[in-house]
Amino acid sequence: MNVKDYIVSGIVESYVLGLASGEERAEFERLCAEYPELAAARDEFEESVEKFALANAVKPPESVKVRFLEAIQNPPSLNQTKTITMEKATTPVRPMRQGGFLRFMAAASVVLLIGCAYFLYRFSEQNAELRSSNQELAARAQKSDSILNKIADEQKVVSDPNVTVVNLVGTQTAPKSSANIYWDSASTNVYLVVKNMPQLPSDKQYQLWALIDGKPKDLGVFDVNKEKFIVKMKNTQKAEAFAITIEQKGGSVSPTLEKMQSLGKLKQSQ
Amino acid sequence: MGISTTYNEQELILALKKRDEQAYKYLYDNYSGALYSIIKQIVDDAELASDVLQEVFINIWRKIESYDARKGRLFTWMLNIARNASIDTLRSKSYQNSQKNQELPDNVYSDTTRHTTQLNVDNIGLKKVLEKLKTEHRVLVELAYFKGFTHEEIAEIEGIPLGTVKTRIRNALLQLREFLQ
Repeated sequence: MNVKDYIVSGIVESYVLGLASGEERAEFERLCAEYPELAAARDEFEESVEKFALANAVKPPESVKVRFLEAIQNPPSLNQTKTITMEKATTPVRPMRQGGFLRFMAAASVVLLIGCAYFLYRFSEQNAELRSSNQELAARAQKSDSILNKIADEQKVVSDPNVTVVNLVGTQTAPKSSANIYWDSASTNVYLVVKNMPQLPSDKQYQLWALIDGKPKDLGVFDVNKEKFIVKMKNTQKAEAFAITIEQKGGSVSPTLEKMQSLGKLKQSQ
Repeated sequence: MGISTTYNEQELILALKKRDEQAYKYLYDNYSGALYSIIKQIVDDAELASDVLQEVFINIWRKIESYDARKGRLFTWMLNIARNASIDTLRSKSYQNSQKNQELPDNVYSDTTRHTTQLNVDNIGLKKVLEKLKTEHRVLVELAYFKGFTHEEIAEIEGIPLGTVKTRIRNALLQLREFLQ
């Protein structure tokens, strides 16, 4: 790949500012390890962002610093040694009964804190889980949408008034083979719908031909694929008939007529 | 400040990973202003921005283990934490409710009143630089960077193809790079 083009594509800025997608991030990080000039470009932009941000700093209220330092001095993840020191500080000269009460309160508050911390942790974890499943659903919906659009497009071809339908019927070699050609005379697009064609060995393919003035014109090869309801073939402006033959994989220049599978003539020529 | 300890980036990261309190004071003194500025540009409310800033520094303290110097500078990592926390706040229900309440009287007048209340925030930092961009570019960067919308969401909001969104944002960022230098 051309690293120079990649560097000036805007990906560096997009990555540093957190606007790159997960896929782009992964690729960028992989390439950074591979190309030192890419890592250098990233460093350079990071430095200018940092410099700019520092130059445009706005002083926050003093109270934030106080609260932050307090929070990290008393981190929420209390462990046992800390509860003991706390207890010692408050109970050394108190009589036993009160000490017991204080000890109970201290223990209770620790339990409560740990409980709270646990729930907070669970909530944030659940939140992350929900988010990822939400993303998954959105991706699935998008996929369904694109499938639906494809079906709608295919439907459009079938119902277009400009489209001529040619019914290809089986020849003597393959009496059961049949297919339909949808030929759009306005756009010259040719679509093929397989109705019944046997599967071929992997080194063979079907090939579609248009017959023009008695001469065959190659309209492309196709496989019998159950997922594809409609296949777009090569365009043709003229055709008196369409024919399908079996050819070596990749197709032939001229049709192997003895392998002709089906044939269909147009009622009126264009 | 009073204590004259200075760190280079590696020393600072090492000390932060050891949860050295002095290092966190240094970090706060040197970077809180830069982060506060970006948070304020996103959440648009000084008091809320202070809360977010505090949360951001606590998150830096908690998550410092996950910082990986091979992926970028410490400041970039902190900046992204600050931006994400700000956008989360922006999207929280309580924030949106508070905005609705504030906007109610304004809606009696025209849309322009809302613009004037935002003007003072528009004039700081990155948003100021954004003004130099063409409108079609600026709007997209604002939606992506300051509102946290994905490229797909922006394509839908603006009614333009995803590919156009991507190239426009990339081009805008390349121009921004020039302005930052």
